[in-house]
Parts: sequence; C-alpha cells; structure tokens
Amino acid sequence: MKKIAKIVIAGEGGQGVQSIADILAEAGNEEGLEALYIPNFGIEQRGGVSVAFVQIADNLIGSPKFEKGDVVVALSDRAVNRVKCHVGMNTTFIYDNSLIEVTEAQPTEDIEKSENEEECMPVEKKDQPVVLPERVGKVIAVPATAIAKKDLHPRVFNVVILGAVVEAARVVSDKSIKNAIENKLGKKFDKNPELRELNFKALQMGIDAVKEALVRS
Amino acid sequence: MERAIKEEKRVFMTGNEVVAWGALAAEADIMYGYPITPQNEIMHYWTRLAPKHGKKFLQTEDELSAGFTTIGGVLAGRRAFTATAGPGNVLLQEPVTMAEMMRLPMVVCIQQRGGPSTATVIYSQQEVNLTTYGGNGESLRIVYSTANHQELYDYTIKSFNVAWRYRFPTFILGDGYQAKMREPLVMYNPREKGVEMVPPESFVGNKGSFGIDREPVHLRNAFSMEEELYEVVMEHIDDYNRITPQIVEYVSLGCEDADLVIVSHGIVSRAAVAAQEMLRREGYRIGYFRPITLRPFPVKALRKVCKSTPRFLVVESAYGQLARLVKDALFGLEAKMDEIFMPGLGITSEKIVGHVKKKSELKV
Repeated sequence: MKKIAKIVIAGEGGQGVQSIADILAEAGNEEGLEALYIPNFGIEQRGGVSVAFVQIADNLIGSPKFEKGDVVVALSDRAVNRVKCHVGMNTTFIYDNSLIEVTEAQPTEDIEKSENEEECMPVEKKDQPVVLPERVGKVIAVPATAIAKKDLHPRVFNVVILGAVVEAARVVSDKSIKNAIENKLGKKFDKNPELRELNFKALQMGIDAVKEALVRS
Repeated sequence: MERAIKEEKRVFMTGNEVVAWGALAAEADIMYGYPITPQNEIMHYWTRLAPKHGKKFLQTEDELSAGFTTIGGVLAGRRAFTATAGPGNVLLQEPVTMAEMMRLPMVVCIQQRGGPSTATVIYSQQEVNLTTYGGNGESLRIVYSTANHQELYDYTIKSFNVAWRYRFPTFILGDGYQAKMREPLVMYNPREKGVEMVPPESFVGNKGSFGIDREPVHLRNAFSMEEELYEVVMEHIDDYNRITPQIVEYVSLGCEDADLVIVSHGIVSRAAVAAQEMLRREGYRIGYFRPITLRPFPVKALRKVCKSTPRFLVVESAYGQLARLVKDALFGLEAKMDEIFMPGLGITSEKIVGHVKKKSELKV
C-alpha cells in the first residue's frame, strides 16, 4: 500500500460529498498517518458544486489544496467539468455513470481548453457538454446510484462511492475505514443496527465495483 | 470542575475546534464574540465546552462590542478573549487600540477571509496589514501567524501568556483554510509541560484604599496635552522594542547556500516548504524563510539571510501585504525580489515550483 494519496470528490450539495471525504481522512488518521480534509465551503453551501479535498500521507502534508489528484471523483454533470483541472496523467477518475450522461467526445476544437483549466479556476457555464477528461490515467465508471437503489437504499449511494475511492486510492485499510464510519455514524447504528449492515454492504459493493473494473481494464 | 485536558492525546479536528480547546487549555475564563464566517465554530465549540468547565460566553451585538467587553472581562481579572474575521477585524481595531493605549492584555484569534468588504467567507491572507498595523496610533501588538493545527493550539496557549506577561494585544492570525480543515494534532495540558500560566489580575475594583493599602490604578486612553501623550507612547514603544528580541520567532531553512529564498507566512508556508524540498531534490539551491511573528517582524534574522542570499521570492495569498513587511525589514540592503501574489486564493506547491523553474532562470 503506498502511503500518499491526494483525493478530490465533487458533487451536488446534499449528495454527501463532504461526509465521505471526512470519513476518508479520519480513516487515515486512524492509521496514524497524516491526514488533511478541507471542504470547498464557498457558495456551494447554497447549491453549487460541493468539492472536498483529502490528503493522506506518511509525512507532513503541504498546502490543503492541490492541483492534480491521484483519485478524482465526480458525482454530477457540473462536477465533471468542475474537477477536470485536477485530473492528470496519473489520476484515476471515477464517476457515477448511472447519474451522469456523458456527451460523446467531440472533435477537440469544440472543447474549450481555456487557460482556466490550467490554472485550476474553472468557470461554470450553463449547458456545457459533459465530456470526460481526456488526458487521464484511468477512468472508472461506478453506477453507485443504480447499485444503491437496486440492492440497498438510495441514501447510501455516497458510501458506495466511498468504497470505490478506498479501493482506487489503496491508502487506508478496510478496517480503518469501517472504524471511521463507526465513529461518524455509531450512534445511529446503535439505534438501528440494520443501518450498520447497510452501510458496510454499500462500502463493499463500491470496493468490488472498482476491483472488477480494474480487472477488466 | 472537570479538568479540561489531562494527558497528551492525538486528536483529529478542525482549526476552529483547536482554538476553542487551546483557549480552554490556557485556562481562559470567558469568550466574547459575534458570529462571522469562517471563525463561527470557535464560538460554537467554546459554548459547547464552556458550561462543562465553568467557563462563560457572551454574544455581543457586533465586534466593536465584542472587543470592548473583552477588555471589560480583562479589567475584572478574567482571562478573556475574542475571535473574528474580515469586516469584524476592521471593527475590532478600535477596542484593540484601547487595550494598547491602556496596556491591557487582550487575546484575539483572526481567521482571515477574502477582502475587501464582505468578499468571500473562504480564505485569504489579506488581513496582514490590518492585524499588524491596523490601529490608530503605533499598533504595538504581537501577531503570531500559524501554519498548522499544532501551531494553532500551541500559539493560542502562548498568546495568553505573552499578552498577560507583556500587556500588549496579542493575535493568533489564522485563515479560513486553517479554520475549516481537519488534521491531526497533539493536545496537552500546558501545566504538565512545565508551562506556568501567567495569572490574570483584576485591574479595577480591587480592595483597600489606593496610596495606603495598594498602588493606584491609572488607566488612561485620553490625554489633553501633546507632550503627555508623547511621553506615554514613547514609554510603550521602548517597552515594545525591549521585549522584541524575546518575542520574535521565525523559521529559516537552507538559506546558507541558497541562490533564492522563498518567503511566506501562515498556511502558504506549507506549500513553500514542500516546494523548497521538491526543488532541492532536483538540484536547485533554494532556501526558505518564514516569519512566525509578523509583528514584531524578525528583522535581524531576515537581514542576515539577505547578506548571504540577496534574492527573494515572496509568496502570499494577498497582493503584497507580507512583501511590504519584508521590504521594510530589508531597507538599505541591496536585494532582488520576485513575487507570487494571489489575493484571496490558495497557493499550491506546484504553483511555486512552476514559477521558480519558469521565471527565476536559476541553474541546477
């Protein structure tokens, strides 16, 4: 297991982006590693794209935000365009293909490669086509919403994503992530033990989805 | 009453939570405050912790009032503090100068947000001018710029002792990133580490008759004669200059053989240190200097660096507020100065590395 990971997770407010980022960082801390989580907490509290930055490492962590992530996750159409600037040649890009409809890649002249992308200051435009990042390490589609709806409960869709990130980043153990979930949701679990099972199942399905995708690729 | 922190423990929390715990560890008695993002949770956590430990909180109608009530608490012999950001920091300047004029201790935590005016609730380093020199008068104050959660905790504790020992307003200068991010730190009880907390004393309402049982207390912030004011202010300036060598703190890394020294403060230092390490690995001779106290500024130390490496790159999330302090410190010496100024925007190590490689024309 390598001991450094930079992770970006982006989605719509209410999708639970910040919760899973928080759990992930806490799992890093559980393992005695350096961990840093910072929400991008601007106007998105009122309905923009919600972005979370997580870093886990075995030595001191630099700036709280960074340019290229090892794992970058997008959970809505807008989020894909928002986080593209964090995707590099070594990035594993994960998106929910049961939620995001990807526009077929147009000839590159149609895709604006603005300076903003380089500078990581993406501008949100209406009706932008959703085009997956081109210069990327791997792209993994995880139909988290569909999995959660079909086999679990729609509310644990973000935990499916958490599982996917854990497997893609390979920086914290399953045990630590379960402990971190327990720390965060233990009280709810005690009231309703079924929730524990549901969450852990969701986590495992996310892990399996990425494992499967990696085998296939 | 339950003792707040008994033994050392590693925790994982937000910076705002850290400041509340730091104040508790420093045995603060009361916080006065008015909500403003991104420092709100200092208040929230304090109000959650306070009742369990016999501490108090008062929400005032604005930051002017929060500052003056803090002074009230101090006068009554309480270890009082406040916290704010942005436009709240502007309002707070008036009470801070009153504490300066009366030579009262005062502790303030600032979590810088974007400016001017309301701007963003997120992050900046644009409150350096205001926090170091924002008062009318001479702005005799102590400003610690922290870079991580451990420092937020350590310097919160230290601020109380420094303020009460030297009786100058003392600031912990954080920012929105530090306020909102979570990372690990070790909390401890300062007494367990042999740190004696300077006991607060009441300045007014003391028992006995002055001149007979005790010295009179004379707290003034209004003067009718120029000469009178001059004498008092000069006395304060002398005090301030005398304690400066004991107060100044800085970090200097690899400056001895450097071709270029990166200067930054606060959270940007994390990116700067990482950039310095990356560049060193690639063979660039890069040094790094960070003032921890922005006021008083580590003038001597920086001038010494300048003598071996008269070339600087100042990096800050503001448009030259740190650079102004640096230039002031270097006055009279010959030095080149390049800059990365990104007001209200975070700066990554990649950005600094890219800048040095592209623009500095340094050879490996």
